[in-house]
Amino acid sequence: MKAGLEVHQQLATRKLFCPCPSELSEEVEGTVRRRLRATGGELRALDPAAAFESALGQSFVYEVVPTSCLVELDEEPPHAINAEALDVALTVALLLHATPIDEILVMRKLVVDGSNTSGFQRTALVAVNGWVEVGGHRVAIDTICLEEDAARKVSETGGEVRYRLDRLGIPLVEVATGPDLTSPEQVREVAQAIGALLRSTQRVRRGIGTIREDLNLSIEGGTRVELKGVQELRLLPKYSREEIARQEMLLRAKEELHRRGAKPPSGGPVDVSDLLRDAGPGPVASSLKKGGVVLAAPLPGFHGLLGRSAEPGPRLGRELADYARSVGVRGILHSDELPSEGVEASHVEAIRHRLSLAPQDAFALVASTDAAQALGALQRVIGRAALAWAGVPPETRDPLPDGTSRYSRPLPGRDRMYPETDVPPVTLSVDHLTALGRRLPERPEETRERIRGQYALSNEVAGVLLREGEADRFEALVRKGHAPALVVRLLTHDLPALAAVPRAEPMSEASETVLDTILTAWEKGQFAKEGVQPMLEGVLVHGRSLVEAASSAGLAPMSRPELEAIVEGVLDRNDALWRARGKAAQSPLMGDVMREVRGRRDGKEVAEVLEKALVRRLEGLGGAR
Amino acid sequence: MGEPTVDPRRKLAKLPTGSEVEITRPDGRTWHGILVPATEFSAENVVVLKLATGYNVGLAITERDVLTVIERARRPRTSKPSGPVAISPPPPATPWVALLTTGGTIASRVDYQTGGVKPVRDEREILESFPALDAEGPVRVVPVFERFSEDIVPSDWVALAEKIGESFRQGARGVVIAHGTDTMGYTAAALSFMVRDPPGPVVLVGAQRSPDRPSSDGFTNLPAAIHLARTGDLGEVVVVMHDGVSDDRFTIHRGSRVRKMHSSRRDAFESRNAPPLGHIEGKRIQLGSEARRPSGSPIRVDTRLDARAALVTYYPGLSPIRLRRFVRADRGLVLAGTGLGHVSRLHIRALRRLITNGLIVAMTTQCLGGGTDPFVYSTGRELVREGVVYLDDLLPETAYAKMLWALGQADDPARVRALLLEDIAGEFVHRRRLEGGP
Repeated sequence: MKAGLEVHQQLATRKLFCPCPSELSEEVEGTVRRRLRATGGELRALDPAAAFESALGQSFVYEVVPTSCLVELDEEPPHAINAEALDVALTVALLLHATPIDEILVMRKLVVDGSNTSGFQRTALVAVNGWVEVGGHRVAIDTICLEEDAARKVSETGGEVRYRLDRLGIPLVEVATGPDLTSPEQVREVAQAIGALLRSTQRVRRGIGTIREDLNLSIEGGTRVELKGVQELRLLPKYSREEIARQEMLLRAKEELHRRGAKPPSGGPVDVSDLLRDAGPGPVASSLKKGGVVLAAPLPGFHGLLGRSAEPGPRLGRELADYARSVGVRGILHSDELPSEGVEASHVEAIRHRLSLAPQDAFALVASTDAAQALGALQRVIGRAALAWAGVPPETRDPLPDGTSRYSRPLPGRDRMYPETDVPPVTLSVDHLTALGRRLPERPEETRERIRGQYALSNEVAGVLLREGEADRFEALVRKGHAPALVVRLLTHDLPALAAVPRAEPMSEASETVLDTILTAWEKGQFAKEGVQPMLEGVLVHGRSLVEAASSAGLAPMSRPELEAIVEGVLDRNDALWRARGKAAQSPLMGDVMREVRGRRDGKEVAEVLEKALVRRLEGLGGAR
Repeated sequence: MGEPTVDPRRKLAKLPTGSEVEITRPDGRTWHGILVPATEFSAENVVVLKLATGYNVGLAITERDVLTVIERARRPRTSKPSGPVAISPPPPATPWVALLTTGGTIASRVDYQTGGVKPVRDEREILESFPALDAEGPVRVVPVFERFSEDIVPSDWVALAEKIGESFRQGARGVVIAHGTDTMGYTAAALSFMVRDPPGPVVLVGAQRSPDRPSSDGFTNLPAAIHLARTGDLGEVVVVMHDGVSDDRFTIHRGSRVRKMHSSRRDAFESRNAPPLGHIEGKRIQLGSEARRPSGSPIRVDTRLDARAALVTYYPGLSPIRLRRFVRADRGLVLAGTGLGHVSRLHIRALRRLITNGLIVAMTTQCLGGGTDPFVYSTGRELVREGVVYLDDLLPETAYAKMLWALGQADDPARVRALLLEDIAGEFVHRRRLEGGP
């Protein structure tokens, strides 16, 4: 494989082209409805991605929030580029040994999916030609850009997409590597290294969605495909492996099509509604009942290549269905999966007959109450099927939570870029760059060495803190007087474990104050280390207050007499055991006691109390053995 | 191979835009791209390259850079500006709309090579930007002039009025004027007085966002204006622009009462002192009872204007000497006074002298809302006694346009004064209601 990464990191400055705060908001003040039209680029050619989106003819609704102004609404020209954000981007460039551009020019990148009210994303190339060292290898950093983040998609129903303006305009530093990455694990390591470097500026936003990766990947014989907006860094190796498997599947299909001597589909969709009137329950029957149509398209040479959904791994059938879905239909049925969904073998035969198919041919069906939509969907299926002869089509794909991805739109070309004439260029002076160079923040590897020595951490722990981006929080909490070992455990064990807790809402960001309070309570003995996890879960996942979280986790502090009473109770109930085994009974009894204590007292203290009580009882028997 | 003996700056200066070049910097890095024009704010030695990624970068070139020309672009065709064009023979019997272009951004195309904005010249060009514009029937493009709206002068109003008359005489159902928004209110007011009893709508329309952006309001304003011109039961000069900041509702303003009230918002245009004439939503046109229907009388186009007049906003400290100097060569003066229509008492004697010498002085209010009234305060009473004409709630811009028109109609100051006070185009509101706010 050959892969490149684009890491997008939100900055904790004000917005890039207006003085609004870079904060998300849940308070919607009103809505605005807009339409967008693809316009020609500098070379008067319409970008394929932009044309595709424009053709969908959607209208967009924007939610106005207190953290937005007329600029986000495209009701006022952009202000000059945020100098502070530019300095952060330049600092990142210098940390990456890159060369800043003499005169920085803001461009408009055409994006008419509604995520930008203007119809374009403003972006500027800030520096080129850097590198970062990861695992002993130098990875090329081709470009460092400064751009504005897009609006946040809230919902999508029918022809209407709803966005919120809070995220629009938040500065993003984009770091793009060269196509140098050769293994799924390396993809993650490089992403982590770049992430650590970005965080070392101390001017980045934290939390879910504040850093996003685009993965560009191709395999030998394949084509560059872009997975856009991966939020979970740990899934990058999985996305890489899935994409490799998908491209391999597409190359196998290509080879087979050529071997069969099949020709790309030439015929258009055919109405087969009349053949399916007696179809059993399923999408076909329900569309026909509502007065809809079922259209069929021949897929010459595809028999057996589309795959069945029960089989694991990537399937060409799903690729075709993804193209159909982009015009709004629910999906397709194809002959490799039939009979099913109420379509019987006799129907399949009748359709094959009508389409005059040979045994090696397949077909696809789309059922819809909207004939034009069904036709559009099948035209896309036919278009995608024709691309199978070339192998891997260049695409932008959406990453899915299970590690696979879904087609979203054609890969954009350079025609989508033209100058943003509303923003004057920025000429970088040598003096300014020199000054930034003198003020460079500590590099991640320097931080790692420093905290390792300063707080007596192991090499491994210091490395984990850096990789997970927790070094600064670690230091802040230790400075508040917490024991380094406890802070390490909290940040590298208890907090990450929360990711596995099922939840409906995104987890709220663990603020330093919350962590400080939990650590303090822990150190005061209000609960033991076993209680840390339930406390974090209560506060961060379920949104409870610290007091509520403690009581719902059964972590109300336990007094020493309470603990002693529990110990005595356990000893009473296990009279025979300790009488028979003496001091050796302590370890089986410990489990019983801990179950009742449930983390409200430290394990070590519980062991002490238990031991003392046990010894006292054994002495009462006439001396310990 | 480059030619290091030649200063790359001199070579670059001679290369046409669009040439493919390679520039090797002193640090050894080679930049490969297409030469595009630098911005107005670029430093002098900066050349701008468009890279394969689509990004533009500015490189500060010194004699130590090495230039290699990969492919020299051919010089772009320089197109000569088109002057006024006569309307070609009338089209088929289907109702058609004349689209007069003036150089405003709405009916312009962006030249990405030069970065300039050029007005469309014919139907083919406008249909490139607005593919569905003629879905309801033909639109004929008539370029009248090419000017930013801040460069428009009263003689341009004359050219427009003549083209409006010509279009209707050729059989147009309605006329749309694509106009820059900055002075669209002035042009609308002037045309309201110059073009009377039009047999169909005369619709001025503009865009607050240029059409090189996918979000341009022109993409929805222009079709709405064309729709009104083609089907609206209206016989007067109006402005059609966004009603709010959403793209789905448009307001029809009377040309003599409308004003641009915001520098950048889509809903910048407002009818002052009275509600607008109506709204457009989708294909539905809703017109209030105030809107003037076609009168049935033949259209009258009167292009006589006298531009010897001035519009002055009174401000604390404006001296009578400065004001007198300003209007030395003029026949008319429109004052945008304070509040109900006042200027400092220091001006009373100076104004008396000017009026005695034949200057026609009209008073409006810089409040832009509400009417003038000379009788509430003594200053007003004195001004009206000296012969200042109080124009009730006429907007200062409308009053200025009307002054030019009235001066063009008559020499006799008394007659001009009478014309100023006569309701010509429904420009006076007289009855102002609470609704709508200040």
